[in-house]
Amino acid sequence: MRRFIGRISETQVGALLALSYLLFSAVFWAYPFIWLTILSFSDWRYFGAPRFSGLHNLLVVLRDPDFWGGLWNVIRFFSIYFPIAFAGSLGFAFGLKHVGRGKAFIALCFLLANISSGVAFSLVFTKLFSSTGPINNMVFSCFGFRIPWMSDPTLAMLAIALVVAWKFVGYYGLIIYSGLQTIPRDLYDAALLDSTPPLKRLFRITLPMINAQLIMVMVFTILVSFGIFTEPYLITGGGPLGRTNTPMMVIYETAFRRLQPGHAAMMSVIVATASYLLIRITRKLLERDVKLA
Amino acid sequence: MVLRAIRSLWLAGSIVLLTSCSGGHNRSPPDSQVIRLWVGPNEAEESFWKVAVVQWNASGQGLPVSFTTIPTSGNSEDTVLSALVAQTEPDVSTNVFSGFAMQLANLQQLEPLSSMPGYADLIERRHMTKLIRNWQMNGNVYAIPLYSNPALIWWRADVLAKYANHQVPRTYEDVYQLSERYAAAEHHYGFQVFAGRGWEDRWFDFIAFYYAASNGRAYIENGKATYDNAAGLKVAAFMDRMYKQGWTAADFDAGDPLVSGMTAGAVHGPWDLGTFQRLYPETLKNIVIGPIISDFGPEAHRATFADSKGIVIFRSSKVAKEAFAFVSWVLGNEQLNLLWLQKTGMLPARDDLLRNPVFADFFATHPEVRVYATYVDVATPPALNENTIDIQKVMTQELVGPLVYRTKAPQAALDDAAAQTDKILRIRQ
Repeated sequence: MRRFIGRISETQVGALLALSYLLFSAVFWAYPFIWLTILSFSDWRYFGAPRFSGLHNLLVVLRDPDFWGGLWNVIRFFSIYFPIAFAGSLGFAFGLKHVGRGKAFIALCFLLANISSGVAFSLVFTKLFSSTGPINNMVFSCFGFRIPWMSDPTLAMLAIALVVAWKFVGYYGLIIYSGLQTIPRDLYDAALLDSTPPLKRLFRITLPMINAQLIMVMVFTILVSFGIFTEPYLITGGGPLGRTNTPMMVIYETAFRRLQPGHAAMMSVIVATASYLLIRITRKLLERDVKLA
Repeated sequence: MVLRAIRSLWLAGSIVLLTSCSGGHNRSPPDSQVIRLWVGPNEAEESFWKVAVVQWNASGQGLPVSFTTIPTSGNSEDTVLSALVAQTEPDVSTNVFSGFAMQLANLQQLEPLSSMPGYADLIERRHMTKLIRNWQMNGNVYAIPLYSNPALIWWRADVLAKYANHQVPRTYEDVYQLSERYAAAEHHYGFQVFAGRGWEDRWFDFIAFYYAASNGRAYIENGKATYDNAAGLKVAAFMDRMYKQGWTAADFDAGDPLVSGMTAGAVHGPWDLGTFQRLYPETLKNIVIGPIISDFGPEAHRATFADSKGIVIFRSSKVAKEAFAFVSWVLGNEQLNLLWLQKTGMLPARDDLLRNPVFADFFATHPEVRVYATYVDVATPPALNENTIDIQKVMTQELVGPLVYRTKAPQAALDDAAAQTDKILRIRQ
């Protein structure tokens, strides 16, 4: 054994270490993905062997109004969530850059939201935003009306977007902050010598220089928009009128409540393809190779 | 040196991984000399089964029973399903609602209990002839109801004293009058109409109201929605008016509205008696229980929804007959039925609760549970349909939701909901 270990070269060690990752991916990614693809074209209801069913699952999913409503809600959610999360994280990153002392403490405070239990804070937010909750009671006693946070289709989506943004702003902000740290000081000095106004410096130096980080945040917001489950499931239950129902909720219900894993697998493949395409398009349109001359 | 350490670590890790992966083949086969039972994951039910199982095992009447609560932190259905897929299911499980039983029966995972020897005798002994009709699926019974809890309305006695002359509201008009007075005087709501956003919440609003308005008529028959009728319209119009006038809220998520006095009445089941006794004993002292409202006369014995869970035997069981003997012994034993009532406060699914002297003492000392018992004969479980979730999601999105958010008129909401339900059920066929 000792002799065998002694014979392994450095290259082989590298290959072995990489193999660990490949093995992990094979077990936890490739195997489920292959199984998912097989399931999408099979008639299987948890028991017995799956039977090939051609495009039947696709036809069922295409006629499922819940699923398409869920996908439409992804677009609605993204259109509210992205500006809030993007502006919030930019603000956080710029703010953090100008903080003198206690930088680590502030960053930690924002990150706490990210590591908090989604279930716990969803329940807290549900009670806070309820039409009979403390916020609405205060509004009612002051102004004589209540804000339908959970019962108005647009406000309900806004409430969820706010909750999710609260969770991720610190995380995204730190990614952008890391980008800001890498911008050479000389660029700003040169711009100041040329009397470049602040807005121009922002759009011509800062934002282009952190393009990689901005694209990364954008990709994350797309992934969150397609993958969101806990918050709408617990805060609004997909309501009102199904306007906060998400594809993940539909997939979960289809697989484990309707007991139709084949249909759910087909939905997953469609959602995965849609999110992948959107990310590819985003990167194609907005990603820039930043090089310092 | 470092390189060697990494090599050794990798090899050790691989060995551990491979060893642990190969362990799955060593699973021992299920013991066919024991009946394995899963029971509802709560303290009250567990305490009942503890006694029942000890008595059965001591009696030596059949195979011994070993029980555990359904190993779930959330939903029983998910856990039972996972166990079935992983082939780790027990022989018997309680806590199965009729829709889930229908799904499992269609997937051929349940034993038809009506074919078991002694079934007819059990139904007669337990006085379930009438109740069991609602559990028949394609001529068979796959789940026998353990309990049947009628949904009724709790009212705050202090509010009724002040604004309704101590009279419990029984008709829509009663609720309108109370709501108008209570809302005008205290800026609160008369009645919690909307039970919640989940599909299962429809059992405690539209379906309960519809059963009361239609004398327990089914809302799904032969794969079609049947609630688009006069009774359905009465319920929809009631809900519409409550929201139109601002006499109820779109949600009461902040806390129990009866405790805070935010509303004067809300639908509750008998299981809430224990919860309130533990958490809000003062509020409970101030509660009077009334029927589900409808426009029948005040004396009418109106129907309501029954929250009912059954007991099933899985087809994979090697001791199905022995398991049924145990189930039959527990369900048919009046003293154990009484013990169930005492431990859980939930009503055993039997037609003779108020006639049978075994339960008389209990009801004499628990008048609030007795009120619930008077409705067991008219409490109807959900429609027996595999697509319960779709039916009730459509009900939420096309009927109740639009009335709550005031986006549709009652008749239009009913029409849309019925049409959409029929369409979905056609797709799911």
